[in-house]
Amino acid sequence: MKNFLKRFYLIIILLFLYLPIVTLIVLSFNDTKTMGVWKGFTLKWYQDMFSNPQILNAFCNTLFIALLAAVVSTVVGTVACVGIMALSKRQKNAVLQATNIPLLNADIVTAVALLLAFGMFGISLSLGTVVFAHITFCLPYVILNVLPKLRQTGTIHFEAAQDLGATPLYAFMHIVLPDIMPGVFSGFLLAFTMSLDDFIITYFTRGAGINTISTLVYSQVKVGIRPTIFALSTVIFVLVLIVLLLSNFLPEKMEKAREKAEKEGRELTPEQRKKRRTAKRIGAGIVAAAVVAVCVLASPYVGAMAGKGEVIYFYNYGDYIDPDLISAFEAETGISVVMDTFDTNESMYPIIEGGQVSYDLIVAGDYTIEKMIENKLIQPINYDNIPNAANLEPAYMEILASTDPGNQYMIPYTWGTVGILYNKTMIPEGRITSWKDLWDPELAEHGILMMDSLRDTFMVAELILGYDMNTSDPEELQKVVDLLIEQQPLVQAYENDSARDDIITESAGLGMIYSGEYLYCLDENENLDYVIPEEGTNVWFDCFVIPTNAKNKEGAEKFINFMLDAEAGLATFNYLTYPIPNAATMELIDEEIREDENVFPSQETLDRCDRFHYLGKEADQVLASYWKRFRGN
Amino acid sequence: MSNILELQHVSKKFDNDLVLDDLCLEVKENTFMTLLGPSGCGKTTTLRIIGGFTTPDQGCVLFEGKDITNLPPNKRQLNTVFQKYALFPHMTVGENIAFGLKISGKSDEYIRDKIKYALKLVNMDDYANRDVTMLSGGQQQRIAIARAIVNEPKVLLLDEPLGALDLKLRQDMQYELIRLKNELGITFIYVTHDQEEALTMSDTVVVMNQGYIQQMGTPENIYNEPENAFVATFIGDSNILGGIMLRDKLVRILGTDFPCVDTGFGVNKPVDVVIRPEDVILGEAGKGQMDGVVSHLIFKGVHYEMEVQAGGFEWLVQSTSMFPVGQPVSLSVDPFNIQIMNKPESEDEEAVVVDV
Amino acid sequence: MFKKKWLTAPYLVFILCGTVIPLLAIFYYGFTDQEGRFTLENITAIADEEHAKALGLALLFALICTVVCLLLAYPVGLILRKHAGGRKGLVVFILILPMWMNFLLRTFAWKALLANNGVLNGILGSLNLDPIRIINTPAAVVLGMVYDFLPFMILPIYNVMVKIDNNLIEAAYDLGASGKTVLTKVLLPLSMPGIISGITMVFVPAVTTFVISQILGGGKIYLIGNIIEQEFTLNGNRQLGSGLSLVMMVFILISMALLNKFDKNGEGSII
Repeated sequence: MKNFLKRFYLIIILLFLYLPIVTLIVLSFNDTKTMGVWKGFTLKWYQDMFSNPQILNAFCNTLFIALLAAVVSTVVGTVACVGIMALSKRQKNAVLQATNIPLLNADIVTAVALLLAFGMFGISLSLGTVVFAHITFCLPYVILNVLPKLRQTGTIHFEAAQDLGATPLYAFMHIVLPDIMPGVFSGFLLAFTMSLDDFIITYFTRGAGINTISTLVYSQVKVGIRPTIFALSTVIFVLVLIVLLLSNFLPEKMEKAREKAEKEGRELTPEQRKKRRTAKRIGAGIVAAAVVAVCVLASPYVGAMAGKGEVIYFYNYGDYIDPDLISAFEAETGISVVMDTFDTNESMYPIIEGGQVSYDLIVAGDYTIEKMIENKLIQPINYDNIPNAANLEPAYMEILASTDPGNQYMIPYTWGTVGILYNKTMIPEGRITSWKDLWDPELAEHGILMMDSLRDTFMVAELILGYDMNTSDPEELQKVVDLLIEQQPLVQAYENDSARDDIITESAGLGMIYSGEYLYCLDENENLDYVIPEEGTNVWFDCFVIPTNAKNKEGAEKFINFMLDAEAGLATFNYLTYPIPNAATMELIDEEIREDENVFPSQETLDRCDRFHYLGKEADQVLASYWKRFRGN
Repeated sequence: MSNILELQHVSKKFDNDLVLDDLCLEVKENTFMTLLGPSGCGKTTTLRIIGGFTTPDQGCVLFEGKDITNLPPNKRQLNTVFQKYALFPHMTVGENIAFGLKISGKSDEYIRDKIKYALKLVNMDDYANRDVTMLSGGQQQRIAIARAIVNEPKVLLLDEPLGALDLKLRQDMQYELIRLKNELGITFIYVTHDQEEALTMSDTVVVMNQGYIQQMGTPENIYNEPENAFVATFIGDSNILGGIMLRDKLVRILGTDFPCVDTGFGVNKPVDVVIRPEDVILGEAGKGQMDGVVSHLIFKGVHYEMEVQAGGFEWLVQSTSMFPVGQPVSLSVDPFNIQIMNKPESEDEEAVVVDV
Repeated sequence: MFKKKWLTAPYLVFILCGTVIPLLAIFYYGFTDQEGRFTLENITAIADEEHAKALGLALLFALICTVVCLLLAYPVGLILRKHAGGRKGLVVFILILPMWMNFLLRTFAWKALLANNGVLNGILGSLNLDPIRIINTPAAVVLGMVYDFLPFMILPIYNVMVKIDNNLIEAAYDLGASGKTVLTKVLLPLSMPGIISGITMVFVPAVTTFVISQILGGGKIYLIGNIIEQEFTLNGNRQLGSGLSLVMMVFILISMALLNKFDKNGEGSII
């Protein structure tokens, strides 16, 4: 009975630890992009994964960085431990205190500190900075694993070996090292794991074109994670599992068999001996093969970093372009595209402002672009290289010209509105007309979702109160914050990323959403409808811009031109389901969709709407402080 | 004297390894009993069964006539001194000693007195507030003993308690243990593989091998009259030879007939003969029962140890007089010093239960 | 022992460049304003209501998470000590294995599991049980923290546990201790280094996390980690971000100093 309880308890704990893992593995075979609904078995995400260069690239990067960081930190750390043993007590204490700092520091602080330090010394971010940062935070794990083993081992054997004529190096390699190997190995394993699992530090220290699985996942948060990532994680998980199982437990099992045989007084038959040797070789072979495989996987990429042909570095929202278009562009022009991704304008801006990474092309939101123009971070585009600009819908170009006279700096990629998505089975059709409905306690029981985005969230309250959505007046903002705080108890969650998933799965009944998500959601759940409230809303544009420090401006322009092609626009529309400001593309879109006012609002609706503008540095800080006042409540 | 402890038909298996097979043992009150045997003979398992750390597969343990087989160790009136002392590293010497007393709810004053008494008993008077990890092996040993005896157990179990100490310290502790035993007047059950320790301290020695008791008796009895070749080789040095019991009181060894005192083995029966090296008398060649030549000589302090080639056998001989290597000598043995044993018919039979 | 102090040199370079200098950079920014003048404003900003509240909440959640982890992990250590002493490799393996699935994804998986129409409620519904509604609440955030950091509590406790000599336990029983006494008087004090190292490994990341509260808190729960992260990314105010980081570090250091009073020997280790 007691044993049963113990076993039961262990099983519960294991279940707790592995439940999310199983969930992710199951989702990687799920025939829908939405988390939390089962729509049948499919292998298409695995196919997608193997045909998506960005994902494969991230896969190689992740393993390459983890392996390199783990190997270097294991070697440096183990060697350092030997040195630490020779230090005086005070020196030793000082070193060990310093070792503890990265462990006691928040990841975000470590990451930012590294970023600031790189900035202070004018070191531009690259693969090297990521590896350096990873080695730095892996080292303590190695030290903390090796040092106790070394202490335990003591000097006796080392001295005995030297007494028998071994050089110190030989004695260390043949006597001490085998003895502390378990510590070294677990240090390596932990370092590898930590590196593999890291997001924050990689995110802040990476250079252009360097994505790991973590940064890829995070950048997809804005548009929702595609199951391709689940497939990728499953593959990695299973891969590492197999390698470690085979390399670790096979020889161990054989060893046990041998021990048993010896105990029973049996000599091993030559056959068994052979088997054992083979098993050991297989184990070592698998590890070696894994290492080689990773290096091979990583080498073309590292080669690319060293410079091959013409390249453009492209900074984009995560999963915000059809990967087939990139391949097509590369095939057509011979220019390779290295794409980095970010999740929000706000997290992209400091990276560009810092100037430690240089990109040739960026996709960004319009009001952030205004800020970039003001701070001279981007340069005018040469329309001579973009004949396809003629395809752009003049009406939208006119809207943009109000903040970018002559459309010098930005060329629109996608556009849309912000509105309310709701479930018609819970809420009668036509019931939602106003932003005020998001304050309706009656609707709250279905679950109300708000965006977690300063400008968008403030806008809703500003429109209800009849203010300008570009206000930075403290008195007005205080009222806005008060109104939002009043709404707080009614809100199920503030989220950008998974709002659509919650509505698709009917975990929530209504919520703020970008118009581009509407078609996507309708595909997954036909009971949904989208409304642009009567108070109006924000019309936004995501545009191509070229940074001032771009190294390949012409390449970037070629790419923009390629993307403005009618067919490319259609591919983009089909992939993203966001409206495309491309007149030539519009003609290729199904009439039914083209006439859907929810996707392409009428001029009359657009007249009710406004655009966000950059309000200047001071206003930004005022907004930020009121935002914090609201969020910290 | 009555039996304070009895093991009845105890068997124990570990992973199909039969460690104890139908073991029966009776321990008299106020004796110093030693379980002696090579490693793996089952002596520690026996002790752990008595202590309650291992439950036997079959058989039962009686304490003062009551069955305690399934009683957990904390409910038994026994205490153990562990091989590696098992002092609690996070407690001081005093706290270690007080551990059992606090559990049984003794008053602070009683505990204080008891600690003082116990420390005095083991000659560690002023150590109560010391950190146990800072003590030497011998000191830790004493504290381990003190910790066990303050609980006034009726039986103290000691599991190779001196194994980790150096020779001099070990000898000192042997005397200490005998003194302690006499002062406390309780039963000691002591496990060791060191025959000298066993012979020095015990009232009763139980020689064990392969899960069986080979012989049980007083140290003199065990040494002088080993009942089989295992006991003879394990206890002290001995010459074990094959012989033929021609008739009562006459045995033929290596072609020479030796008078002896044993009877009842039958006529012309093959037997094993044990002769202790100190019982072989060397003399001038031709004047003894057999002749031979000295082949090795070592000075051992109190005596010389020699090897003598005689009758095709290398005899081990200890003598106070010295015979140089190469010298022809004669060998003779007093009939009382010839120990006759039944020859085992197979390897296994050597390990049969011996009637005690 | 090996008389080769210079072997620490490469490591010292990493400490200097990777830890000390970046930390000095944080200090520099923490004590200057946007024009580079010395100021204490970034430090005293912690007294602002929203900052103080976020810090308090983070400390509270981290405390709860640490206690829950300890209560969950200690029995695991006890059970494993008895039944898996010889299979250390396997135990470590099982505990580390989940970390090879990306941390962000694992946290998202909890969102899918806990959602109002999520997997768990689906299971509960099919068993005719009431659905749980904890997503977007503090409970979900703490659950996520416990999930993510539990292995870091189990590992050090288990490591210390397997090193405890079985003789000590038997000695305690022998001296009359009941199972409960053995636990409180022997096992608990002897496993203290592991407990302390576990508390450190759990408490620190729990105080500073921002991802878990962001994903599982439905944007309603704002911890000090979220504030710092937003200062660096959203608001681009490095100075304030650095200042608040420094304050948070001080709080962590104080907690650790208090904790280390119990750990005389510093024997605890993760592996």
